[in-house]
Amino acid sequence: MRAEYLIKRVFYSVLVFFITVGITFAVLRQIPRSYPGLDKSVIAQYFVYIYNVLQGDWGYSQGVPVLGLIWEKLYWSLIILVPAISLSLLIGILVGAHFGWKRGSKMDASVLNVMMFTRAIPPYWWAIMFILIFSFHLDLFPLGGYMSISALDRGISYSDILYHSALPIITLTVYSIPGTYYLMRNSMLLTVGEDYILTARAKGLSEKYVLFKHVLKNAMLPMVTMIPLECAYLIAGNIFIEIIFSWPGIGLLTFDAIAAKDFSLLQGIVLIDALLIIIANFSADLFYSHIDPRIKVGGGNV
Amino acid sequence: MYKYRKIGLVIGISVLAAFVLIAIFSPVLAPYDPYKITGAPLEKPNRNHLLGTNNMGQDIFSRLVCGTRATLIVGFGGALLMVLIGTCVGIISGYYGGKIDELLTRAVDVVMALPMFPLLIMLAMFLKPSILTLIFLMGILGWTGCARIIRSQVLLFSESNFISGVKAIGASDIYIMVKHVFPNILPLVLVKFVFATQDCMLMEVGLGFLGLGDPFMIDWGQMINRAYIKGGFALGLWWWLLPPGVSIAFLSLAVASVGHSFENEINPRLRRMIL
Repeated sequence: MRAEYLIKRVFYSVLVFFITVGITFAVLRQIPRSYPGLDKSVIAQYFVYIYNVLQGDWGYSQGVPVLGLIWEKLYWSLIILVPAISLSLLIGILVGAHFGWKRGSKMDASVLNVMMFTRAIPPYWWAIMFILIFSFHLDLFPLGGYMSISALDRGISYSDILYHSALPIITLTVYSIPGTYYLMRNSMLLTVGEDYILTARAKGLSEKYVLFKHVLKNAMLPMVTMIPLECAYLIAGNIFIEIIFSWPGIGLLTFDAIAAKDFSLLQGIVLIDALLIIIANFSADLFYSHIDPRIKVGGGNV
Repeated sequence: MYKYRKIGLVIGISVLAAFVLIAIFSPVLAPYDPYKITGAPLEKPNRNHLLGTNNMGQDIFSRLVCGTRATLIVGFGGALLMVLIGTCVGIISGYYGGKIDELLTRAVDVVMALPMFPLLIMLAMFLKPSILTLIFLMGILGWTGCARIIRSQVLLFSESNFISGVKAIGASDIYIMVKHVFPNILPLVLVKFVFATQDCMLMEVGLGFLGLGDPFMIDWGQMINRAYIKGGFALGLWWWLLPPGVSIAFLSLAVASVGHSFENEINPRLRRMIL
């Protein structure tokens, strides 16, 4: 049953990838430039394009292979993205779970408002404000970039990169916490309202036992499937944050590609983002199939 | 908490109404032609120029007032299209069930997994950014969340007795969907619409900031973009950078506050559905 579920999910991942490739192909075909196989039919061109993409030939941007360019930038983006995703999931789940359990309290209402406020401010605005406050006025962090000038003499040091990446990571985390918090809080509210929780309480189990053994376990399940959506949200926000912090990742590359009207580069960025989201989706499915026993026996509707 | 939300609703709607009025009467409210050079470059806020001037000597206050339109139009237009598609798909999927439901749910899954924002950037650049293109693209890329929630609500709802009753009388499917299903999910649709409006507004300003705004309109995103690129941030020219950012933050907050109040209003019945 689990194998069948996973095969189904692989099929959808492949479908998503082919649709994305179809869209980028449709756009690229309209851009006047020399393109392999232009003498053949559209269908044949599409397959040539897919073949090239799978081979790792993503075209050239000003003479440089697109995939190589993106690969190098991806590394820098992940330095920010991975800690930010982990932190926002951790904090969002903890805060959401706590206030979902203590729903209706005064504190719950104010936290909800703070989250609403955080979500309403665009990411570049958070970035600008954080630089003004923490870098400019308090002088706690650098103004931007990814390493100090001293790296020219002393070489790249990890602590220096960490120092430069701290504020972008904090900004991205602040920007994305409300999303995970809302999901977790709602998930808690839904679970607490279930009949089996009432049963557990009626049996006379302690509140603590009900929370940890019944509510949390079940409330966490939908969170797993929401991780890919959160990733897509973060990738979008990351574009703005990298621009403001001059962080040399995919986001800044996107900005340069737009300014240069470089479609082959943008195509590469869309493809890599699609791949990132597909990988996130698939890992979530894999994880989900492990923790939800209903998939093993094929009972659940998923 | 209930009373508190009500205050939020009143404030939110008032701020929103104020922005709509400003957008409608922007030609009257703006003291100068927003495209004309009316002062020295980079004047600080003074009596002639309420918010100073930008690097070209254009009046920032006039540009700010005239920029309200683009954000509001794309916000409401994009949200309308999103919710329209999402509601139609959700109702059809939830009402018919079976094979149709299976197919539409899978379609939602696939569209949801596309990298929306990068695609939006590439397609907006490809189709030449304009107000209508942005509305169209946001609509066709962003309807999935709405469809999913509406579907699950309709699914619960179409099993209820009175729908079978109406069916027994011999009402057509279209009639039932329009006259019975839709009015019952309208509150949820409204909540989705408000939040979609917030998303579209933020995306519009974001795209403007990336240099993908409508070139024939003034918008806040392009104002932030210009101020940022020309060094307004690095040089500390706050009157250049601050106004458009504060405006979009205010507008977005007002819309969010209206959305949360609506959500709270329909909570007793629908809380289980809002995920």
